[in-house]
Amino acid sequence: MENAIEVQGMQKVFGQNTAINHVSFNVKKGEIFGLLGPSGSGKTTTIKILTGELGPTAGKVNVLGYNTNQLKTSAFKSKIGILSDNSSLYERLTVYDNLKLFCKLYGAPLKEIDRILRDVNLENDRKKTVSKLSKGMKQRVLLAKALIHKPDLVFLDEPTSALDPASMAQVHRGLQRLNESGTTIFVTTHDMEEATVLCDRVAFLNYGDIQEADSPAALRYKYSTHAFHVETFAGDRLVIENTPKNGEQLKELIETGQVKMMHTDNPTLGQIFLKVTGKELV
Amino acid sequence: MMNVQRINAIFEKDIKDFMKNMMLLMMPLIPIVLALIYTRISDGESLPIFLIYLVVGVTFSAVTSSSMMTMMAEENEKKTLRGLMLSPASFLDIIIGKSLVTGLITFTALIISLAIMGIDPFLNIKAIIALILLFLFFLFLGIGIGLFSKSIAATSAYLMPVMFLFGFTPMVDSFGLAEDGIAMAVFETFPIMQAIELHDGNSWLPLGVIFIWVAAAAVFMYSCFKKTRTDD
Repeated sequence: MENAIEVQGMQKVFGQNTAINHVSFNVKKGEIFGLLGPSGSGKTTTIKILTGELGPTAGKVNVLGYNTNQLKTSAFKSKIGILSDNSSLYERLTVYDNLKLFCKLYGAPLKEIDRILRDVNLENDRKKTVSKLSKGMKQRVLLAKALIHKPDLVFLDEPTSALDPASMAQVHRGLQRLNESGTTIFVTTHDMEEATVLCDRVAFLNYGDIQEADSPAALRYKYSTHAFHVETFAGDRLVIENTPKNGEQLKELIETGQVKMMHTDNPTLGQIFLKVTGKELV
Repeated sequence: MMNVQRINAIFEKDIKDFMKNMMLLMMPLIPIVLALIYTRISDGESLPIFLIYLVVGVTFSAVTSSSMMTMMAEENEKKTLRGLMLSPASFLDIIIGKSLVTGLITFTALIISLAIMGIDPFLNIKAIIALILLFLFFLFLGIGIGLFSKSIAATSAYLMPVMFLFGFTPMVDSFGLAEDGIAMAVFETFPIMQAIELHDGNSWLPLGVIFIWVAAAAVFMYSCFKKTRTDD
């Protein structure tokens, strides 16, 4: 099977509220897929359905070859890792004891604890009681908990929301290493920079609908005006359309040494999201 | 469905957590202290059976039910239960792991208390079966209440009726109820009262009545479980 996740016409209704509205998408094996959207757009509900925590109201879901009815089985759960904004740890226990519990629940060898603690840069904090850790450190322990059994597919719901930039970069490197070893990563975030750095493909989720899906580079190209933005030493700011007839104008500016700065129009994912949905990502 | 390694992992985690939880650690001391006080007061005389069962009732309500509902409610409150449920551990693995911890603590407190008060009345098969059934009854009540309790604070409110109705039932004589009234007749069917009745005759019927209470507690626990699982 080429796809790790296949979703067709997935719908989730809570009472009168439609959280997910007939969404369809695929996630290829081995890719990092980002589901982007503002708070309340249905990102967490999507993860809950894909991990078997909630059942869809309608539609078909297939994750790692398991259909909706099989997502609650131990066999499926042992192949996935989950980090969500609701994940938590046993505060009275040490970092090591927390990881030891999940190592045993997933049937992973205890030596994996040392590896994962190195990966999240907590090897010197293994004996610390969780209640004494900072928020960022706790988030890294939660990440370690989600990855300790080397899952085939990891679901990360806002994984770096509590982290400082240095820790965030470290977690990104760890996730990229994990992805290089073959693990598929499904990540939800409203951090556009994170999505650009991390994801092979992204999808914009708004009001329970997927409104755009492609690689960040392809989306930036698609929504670019393809114009050149030129700033001259004289202080002029020119926008020159990328057409053959404007070649001479550009050539002249360069040859006469007037160009101080020049770049193409590349919208950020945040700007594209705003354009597609008319909403800010909060 | 059941996995010994996962049960063992949960047992090991809960024992460590229990030992670091001062509130839970204090609970097993209550029946032991009561046993010491009653023995002191009796001045060497053997204690009446209803008084021994009062300590048994306190053990099962204040240790078994209380520990179980506190452990479950804390997992709910801190959202760690969700982490366990999302792991390959089944609900049965989680419950059995926790029940083993509760059982270990309960029977340690019970054996110490009975050793202080006199263990002789319990050295027969009927009394031992009754104690096991009583343990299951209070355990299932604790699990059920723990499942729907959203916080540890809420369990205190739920523990009171369990303690007064089912733990302190031997005290019912001091409530001044009419001997042949309906209330008294109802209280006489309660699990601890049926266990006391076992010591008054040769009938096995009281064990049957206690078993019905255990079955009812199991149904209560299952309906609480179903209610917590139908969140969509």
